[in-house]
Amino acid sequence: MTRKHRSVHRLLWPALALTLAIGFALSIYLRPPIAAEPIPAAKSQQ
Amino acid sequence: MSGGYQAVMWNRAKYIYDAILILGVAAYIGSFISIGALLHPPKDAPEWIDLRVRAFGTCAFLMLTVILSIGPLARLDPKFLPLLYNRRHFGVLTFFIAAFHAWSMVQWFAVQNALPNLVQEFTDWPNYLKFIGFPFKTLGLAALLILLLMAATSHDYWLNFLGPPAWKALHMAVYVAYGLVVLHVMLGAVQTERGPFIPLLIGASASAVALLHLLAGWREHAGDRGKAAADDGWLAVGPPQSIPDKGARIVAAPGGERIAVFRDGNTIGALTNLCAHQNGPIGEGRIIDGLVTCPWHGYQYQLKNGCAPPPFTEKLATYRVRLKNGMIEVNPRPLAAGTEAAIELT
Repeated sequence: MTRKHRSVHRLLWPALALTLAIGFALSIYLRPPIAAEPIPAAKSQQ
Repeated sequence: MSGGYQAVMWNRAKYIYDAILILGVAAYIGSFISIGALLHPPKDAPEWIDLRVRAFGTCAFLMLTVILSIGPLARLDPKFLPLLYNRRHFGVLTFFIAAFHAWSMVQWFAVQNALPNLVQEFTDWPNYLKFIGFPFKTLGLAALLILLLMAATSHDYWLNFLGPPAWKALHMAVYVAYGLVVLHVMLGAVQTERGPFIPLLIGASASAVALLHLLAGWREHAGDRGKAAADDGWLAVGPPQSIPDKGARIVAAPGGERIAVFRDGNTIGALTNLCAHQNGPIGEGRIIDGLVTCPWHGYQYQLKNGCAPPPFTEKLATYRVRLKNGMIEVNPRPLAAGTEAAIELT
């Protein structure tokens, strides 16, 4: 690889790693809670 | 490359590489669908298609992870170089697996007569302003289009047409595709499924790929710092015996490209470290059958002048070398490609 390509790599990967880490953390942290499942009628009658 | 070494055409190594690749993919998809169907038997056609979507999706993601790991692994340890040899076929197969994942998803909507819902997902413009709720399929589609571009231009025709630096720069878009795929899964499957499997798979894979690239980049940076040139501009390489026989020492002038200084017995010659094929690190190769051989795809050059042996026409830039006070020195100003510049030590 040329020196230029190596420089691009060195700039790109920290930025990409940081973006993915933030995206990963936020997508877990902000995901909505699971809606509580309604109790089946048959079960509620027991 | 030599007349006997076919770097581009089919050869036994490529057949073996591709056979292992195809068998590995078939085994993964077969196992995923069989185990998935055993654990949660699909009740109808959409559930079967859903299982297929997952099998091909996870397979494409894992393949992309492996592809992106091969480059830095080969930089960190030459033992991984055989994986790099036919990486382009790996990439093309990944595109087809990802395309089948996308096609299966379209089919999932189609069998339920719900294609308008799919179109609505792509065109629900207000959702593009959200993070959670972002149309994650658009991210996957963008990644697929990048993979299509990579696959379509993977042939040596395009490499020759664009030239190695432009071709390499274009193919760096695969890193962006990987980022899009990670977000596609995190904003898609991870939002609806609460099991730890997918987040762990994505987190561990993306961390490993990023870590490998950062590590390789850090090591490469050390090699780019360059040596200080003497007053007359020449760079010290070392005593002749410090250059391994049939191998090279790589030096870099500050701000310049790397130079591979080879020794073949008593012959010392310096070539650019960039192979004419894909800009592979020629100085990490060996002299085989009297020819400098690139470690990536086996392209070969004569040490004396950087020319590929007839009938091939590739040429590398050469550099002047000299022996001064028992030390080999190289002039960092490149000569025209194909210029004879090697010296014989007496």
